[in-house]
Amino acid sequence: EDELEATMANKEVVEYRMRLLTEWRNWRERVTEELMIDREAYGWKPPVEEEPIEDGEVVE
Amino acid sequence: MRPILLQGHERSLTQIKYNRDGDLIFSTAKDQIVSVWYSANGERLGTYSGHQGALWTVDVNPTTTLLATGAADNTIKIWDVQTGRCLKTWDFPTAVKRVEFSEDGTLLLAVTEMRMGYLGTVVVFPIVNDVNAPQADTPVLRITFEQSKGTVAAWSALNKHIVVGHEDGSVSLYDSKTGEQLANEQIHEPDMLITDIQMAPDRTYFVTASKDKSAKLVETSTLKVLKTYATDTPLNSAAITAKKDFVILGGGQEARDVTTTSAREGRFEARFFHKIFEDEIGRVRGHFGPLNTVACHPQGTGYASGGEDGYVRVHHFDQPYFDFMYEVEKMTRNQQIV
Repeated sequence: EDELEATMANKEVVEYRMRLLTEWRNWRERVTEELMIDREAYGWKPPVEEEPIEDGEVVE
Repeated sequence: MRPILLQGHERSLTQIKYNRDGDLIFSTAKDQIVSVWYSANGERLGTYSGHQGALWTVDVNPTTTLLATGAADNTIKIWDVQTGRCLKTWDFPTAVKRVEFSEDGTLLLAVTEMRMGYLGTVVVFPIVNDVNAPQADTPVLRITFEQSKGTVAAWSALNKHIVVGHEDGSVSLYDSKTGEQLANEQIHEPDMLITDIQMAPDRTYFVTASKDKSAKLVETSTLKVLKTYATDTPLNSAAITAKKDFVILGGGQEARDVTTTSAREGRFEARFFHKIFEDEIGRVRGHFGPLNTVACHPQGTGYASGGEDGYVRVHHFDQPYFDFMYEVEKMTRNQQIV
């Protein structure tokens, strides 16, 4: 029973984190898209040309 | 993760900034000296001398040509990064607590303190990115705080808005052209000072630190709180890491309590939180007093902290830091690969 309870709790935590991760990624997608539109409208150019810093990218 | 200890300041650190490339670190302290260091090995390249009071704030422009500093001598100074020459001094009736260049380096904001019958303000100066060109004498914008004074401020993307953190724990959003207040939200506990605001790389969100022992992740355009990071100590600084989804928080008990408090009890540690899940995932000890400032390397390879103890500690992350992932992050990464 303890094992089952632990498994269920763990599953709930994983589902909760998955939901947070999905929400975050959806929000990032939306605001990044809005920013791109804004930048285009402003004719924005980066002050220094360089590789973009990705938000939350994993370094292998 | 073996830190490099930067010894050169004689009094407590007030702010640290990496330049855009991340190869240089600029630091200010109450000893009236601005220092510049190589971030890779901690070697001090030099100092910028000229202020007559404690240094409160520093920022470097995107091309690492101009440096701005603000101090208790009621001045902002602009410096030629390369030669150390002071190019411009702006005088104010009160101390300058925060300076920040806009993301394109064409504007500089400054927060001046409320004191001696003067109201606190945010001023904005146009900046010419040429060490030989004259800079403007007067600001193009002045925002005066009639109620709670501003303590920290930052630019949004495209220089559209100025975000101000207040003494009463609220955050305001201002139109950077007109100075009109567009929004004000009580982000932190009432009457709990906001001690730091640092923007995410694209400036669509930012992190705040507060004396209410928490840090908040906030959407810039709406001032909606996205995440909360709760700690057990007053916070002086908060920074967002690039590459990994973390935030780093620094703080500790007030300096006046330090003499009667051991380093362990003072909780003088940099705290790492997962940006999305809000969990604390680690701490880094080392300082012998509160952490007054933390800054993240712009490429996400390390961070630096400045303490009340007068030291700057520079950390380069080891491989396990980059390998660390939550189960759900691994799962979604695998899903993405498949």
